[in-house]
Amino acid sequence: MRIGLMSFAHLHAESYLNALLHMPDVHIMGIADDNMRRGGHFATAFGVPLYDDYAELLHDKPDAVIVCSENAHHLPLVQMAAAAGAAVLCEKPLATTVEDAYAIQDACAKMSVPLMTAFPMRFSPPAVEVKKLVDSGALGRIYGCNATNQGSLPEFHQAENLTFLGRSWFTDKALAGGGALTDHIVHLADLLRWYLSDEVSEVYAVSNRVIGVGKVEVETAGLVMLQFSRGTFASIDCSWSKPAYYPTWGGLTLELVAEGGLTTLDAFRQNITVYSDRVGRPEYAAWGSDANAGMLREFIAAVREQRTPAVSGEDGVRAVEIVAAAYASVASGQPVKLG
Amino acid sequence: MLKVGIIGTGNMGKAHARGWAHTPAQLVGFCSQDVRGGDVAAQYGVPLLEMDALLDICDAIDVCAPTHLHSQMVLRAAAEGKHIVCEKPLARTHAQGVEVVEACRKAGVWLLVAHVVRFFPEYWRAKQIVEAGEIGNVAVVRLTRASFQPRPAADNWFLDPEKSGGMILDLMIHDFDYARWIAGEVTSVFARSVRGTDPAAPEDYCLALLQHASGAISNIEGGWAYPPPLFRTALEIAGDAGLIEHPAGGSTPIGVHLKHKGGDVGADVGVPGSPLTEDPYTTEIKHFYDVLTGKLPTPRVTAEDALAALRIALAAAQSAQTGRAVQIAEVV
Repeated sequence: MRIGLMSFAHLHAESYLNALLHMPDVHIMGIADDNMRRGGHFATAFGVPLYDDYAELLHDKPDAVIVCSENAHHLPLVQMAAAAGAAVLCEKPLATTVEDAYAIQDACAKMSVPLMTAFPMRFSPPAVEVKKLVDSGALGRIYGCNATNQGSLPEFHQAENLTFLGRSWFTDKALAGGGALTDHIVHLADLLRWYLSDEVSEVYAVSNRVIGVGKVEVETAGLVMLQFSRGTFASIDCSWSKPAYYPTWGGLTLELVAEGGLTTLDAFRQNITVYSDRVGRPEYAAWGSDANAGMLREFIAAVREQRTPAVSGEDGVRAVEIVAAAYASVASGQPVKLG
Repeated sequence: MLKVGIIGTGNMGKAHARGWAHTPAQLVGFCSQDVRGGDVAAQYGVPLLEMDALLDICDAIDVCAPTHLHSQMVLRAAAEGKHIVCEKPLARTHAQGVEVVEACRKAGVWLLVAHVVRFFPEYWRAKQIVEAGEIGNVAVVRLTRASFQPRPAADNWFLDPEKSGGMILDLMIHDFDYARWIAGEVTSVFARSVRGTDPAAPEDYCLALLQHASGAISNIEGGWAYPPPLFRTALEIAGDAGLIEHPAGGSTPIGVHLKHKGGDVGADVGVPGSPLTEDPYTTEIKHFYDVLTGKLPTPRVTAEDALAALRIALAAAQSAQTGRAVQIAEVV
């Protein structure tokens, strides 16, 4: 399996490449990046080749590519890759607009190449355990879900000596599509669609920019209510509300309140707390299984079998529709219907 | 000496009686419709009286009766010139709430509403930290208060939404009040609840999203859908300069895991608690005593605060039924 990496604008690219390098049946062809200095930095760091541009990488006929560009650039890169016959794993959110999301799906369908949206939470063992519990029927009717996917302000993603990596785009509306709503609704929206085997029929959202005011132009906090068609409702806190010195990057939690009782998930709770004089503050050291590796194994299997991956392009499109509805609700002050 | 009469001998009547016992006030009697009311009165060595007789002999009346009876009792007490302590919610409807606040103002008597969460030490500590500017401007407030379905009380009033207003008015009002205390006036509410769309549902669960005039937003979770005896509360306040976290079970100082042989170990109604030298209900009643005796000029929670909390709760209930976001000003 020959895999190429298209852009390292998103910091998840490092995690994906790191996981792929541990897989014996995978050959990393190299990195192409429109930011050559960034591409060169990671090519050197991981000891993999650097291509001059995306066309050169695709000319070498990869079986699959991983697209980790700025959100707004997903569409042109996926179109190029699909046209070259490469399967695509695209970072979330699939696109910054519903139109682009559909165009991405269409481009891959037209060339019959598998398209997967990078929703690794579906491969997180604690999250999978909850899915099994839901499917077992033990919870009965699920009334509601109180969920959080919080992080810190993305300006903290980038160390000062690494500004050449160009990762300040997370708070650039044109490149990211928006702020906290764009960044942190989709994982939970997708997880809940999967858990409930149901679609969102209505979305309500509120947002603000209290945190990071004067520093960024996008919303930095948001609360969203999803109404599912069969009755379950779920609130999602997608805020960038964790301080820079929080012991970890953030987290993903949910509480399912059901006829059968309460089920809680704290997906990144598998950590040990470390107090080091060197760091000067508590830090969580994660020991849980790597969900990215599970996601990448599924992607590779789907490419090999030329089938639709367990998390499809359509799943990515649905999540983008939910985000778009959240922005429409913020604008109108009322819930917005979907579907 | 301040003479106090208590109406109601249920969970709150008893909790308040324990509180008054820690003040110099004299408890002069109870009024109760409950068959077990006489036992409670006997425990304190005071008579069980009709409301008029109780009003005749007290300076302040403590209303711990079912919610739908609050307003008529408060109006009677105010007409007699008695100070009033009243359990939350202030009243069953906004119109009743406005009426009692106005009546007490005109009569020149205190109307002290028992929003006890403001006296729980973890919530009070968080409030002080926010007030001191330690976390900057408040951006997001997250509050959880969830328990099991209360068992039928005297005349089953808890479970009758006409009488109690249901879980949103009875339980979530604590956190509506607290969110407003932390982040300021609420402008709009959007809520989903099980009973909002299915009034016949056997239990209730609700999530409410609030917008505050300050720009802050709040996520309030309330439920009567846990298996007994589970009761969880949680608070999280994020500001532009810091974060306060108090996860459910996050500061439980003792863990007791005893084997028990079947049987019934749960209470009738879930009440949160942590081992403390003074229980928060007593802290609250002592505070009210200081206000009533002039030692404190203003209470930690005013009648207007209680009315505002009621309005938010009613907006949430309305939103859960209509499926629309409700502007607070629409609740009349």
